[in-house]
Amino acid sequence: MSWSRRAILGAGGALAAATATGVAEARVLPKDMVPLIGPGYRAVDPDEKGMWQQMERVEEEVSGSNLLIRDPQLTAYLGVLIGKVGGPAAKDMRIYLARIPEFNAVMFPTGFAVVFSGLLLRMRNEAQLAGVIAHESGHFLRKHQLRQWRDMRRKTDIFSFVAMGAGVAGGAAGVYAGDLVQLAQLGAILSLLKYNRTLEAEADAMGVRLLAEAGYDPMAMSETWEQLIAELDLSAKYRRKKRERDFALFATHPSPESRMADLKISAAEMKRPDGNYDAYRERYMSALATLRPTLLDDQVKLNDPGASQYVVNTLARDGWNGLLRFYEGEVWRLRNSQKMADEARAAQGYAAAVMYPDAPPDAWRWHGIMLLKKGRQAEARAAFAKYLQLAPNAPDAALVRQMVAG
Amino acid sequence: MRRMVLALLLPVALAGCVQTRQYADVEFTPPQGDYKLLVMRPDVSVGSVTTGGLVEPRADWTESARTKLLAAIRAQQAARGGNVLIMEKRNSLPGVDPEAVAELERLHYAVGSSIALHKYSGAYLPTKRGKGLDWTLGEDAVALGRRTGYDYALFLHAEDSFASTGRVALQVLGIAGCFVGFCAPNVGGAGQFAYASLVDLRTGEVVWFNVVSAGSQVAGIKMGDIRTDVGAAQMVDRLLDRMKPGRNVQRREHRQ
Repeated sequence: MSWSRRAILGAGGALAAATATGVAEARVLPKDMVPLIGPGYRAVDPDEKGMWQQMERVEEEVSGSNLLIRDPQLTAYLGVLIGKVGGPAAKDMRIYLARIPEFNAVMFPTGFAVVFSGLLLRMRNEAQLAGVIAHESGHFLRKHQLRQWRDMRRKTDIFSFVAMGAGVAGGAAGVYAGDLVQLAQLGAILSLLKYNRTLEAEADAMGVRLLAEAGYDPMAMSETWEQLIAELDLSAKYRRKKRERDFALFATHPSPESRMADLKISAAEMKRPDGNYDAYRERYMSALATLRPTLLDDQVKLNDPGASQYVVNTLARDGWNGLLRFYEGEVWRLRNSQKMADEARAAQGYAAAVMYPDAPPDAWRWHGIMLLKKGRQAEARAAFAKYLQLAPNAPDAALVRQMVAG
Repeated sequence: MRRMVLALLLPVALAGCVQTRQYADVEFTPPQGDYKLLVMRPDVSVGSVTTGGLVEPRADWTESARTKLLAAIRAQQAARGGNVLIMEKRNSLPGVDPEAVAELERLHYAVGSSIALHKYSGAYLPTKRGKGLDWTLGEDAVALGRRTGYDYALFLHAEDSFASTGRVALQVLGIAGCFVGFCAPNVGGAGQFAYASLVDLRTGEVVWFNVVSAGSQVAGIKMGDIRTDVGAAQMVDRLLDRMKPGRNVQRREHRQ
């Protein structure tokens, strides 16, 4: 049998298309996810020791960073949490909270994690946060950074020899092998990215397992993804854009949709038959109480009204309060679109906020300003008086006092 | 045939090189006599170059290089007559908060990166033209000097890497290819990179900066090895031993 060149090209093209359109990658099963390290684990091989030595320097810098939120109670709370979902390495892991208003958390190969404050803001309860931490623990327990490094080393090693060998062979045979080498390079890069996605899927499966074993509802992880997808969609819609969808073949992480779907199936496998779980919302709210205003403030100042509105509304699914109403107003005031009558919407937010006993002082201040703009002097004065009563030492207290007097 | 082989090996022989380039404040005079020098914790890393060209850090190599470098600095400074404290850790300075030391190191990292960018990487600044070295760590450095009585602080960074067996094999294949018309004699990858930065703690200014890079384009040929006594001494020598005075000082010396 002889193959024509065209037939080979056609078959190759079809194969590439099949991979690119994302014939789903197989789900990693939680039951297969066995931790690869035990308690008190230390680096073993030379490459791992080198990695650990560098990471110890990184941790030294991270732990001294002025981006860290050093609230001792909150730090202790996060420590307890990683202790619950950290599997065999629970006692070895460290967690640092950085003030960065983004939905992210990072695990380092030596077992310390950096959680971004934007993540804490978005979690509705302890179970959801525990889910993210469990995913990060999964990276450590399955030695992902080391395995990724080894995968990269192996593939670049092979590629170098293939490329050099092809060159030499081509030179000997008098054929130019450059095109083939470039194809091999693309293949090597794609295979690196594929490995990265596999590891993320492993961390998801391991996370579901850790979460269930710690007595949390394993469904909490897919809830988090549902929230993230909806937030990204709304954020993009407000900017009149479409949510970025990485071409699956080139992505480092699996697509949020496929992750959510896999997480749901995995969670169903791990769920207790009775299905009754406590999400520990109260405990989460009280641990976060003092920090929450800062978190909301950082978020609304990102000038991403779609995301901010989504976050406020998502948190409000567990009940509105003065703080959330105030920041709802802030989202519109800061967007300040004339066409969408944002000022009126902001005023409504502030007016609603001050109906709640937990309204922050600034809600009274902005409520007063909005009333003043509408010419409702007497009510504005009352609002300012309340502001001064709540925040007598505010930086603008003297100015506001004058406004009340005038 | 012999001539052809020689012609092929010529680039191989020329491929290794050592470069140093130093800049100084125009009024800089190298420290002499009875000065007090604080050597900040040296930032050292040593690794192995994989076949594919990645640098894989090695903990044991890094540790021995650090030890050898510290000893070499001590020996070099003893010969110069300076009064030296080498900080092995951030808390090696009695009475000074390690966090303050860390802050100064981070500040220096930012300033040093700026020097590297504008003096070495080609992004020259017209505002700094003809000014020698015109950077400062400011009040924080002066405060450290006042507190501890040191005249200078020296910041050091050193990297070294060595070709793995696989990398050398790849190199052999590349050179062998020359005989069939596919010539890749310069696979390279391993080499040294180091910098030293001297800060005058009385003014806070960075008064002297030197960068050493040594690399061989041929994997397997070493340009030094800071894991050994000799290699560490050589590195310290290349980095610190030929401090030149600043331009104005040199001109005055010429006139006399």
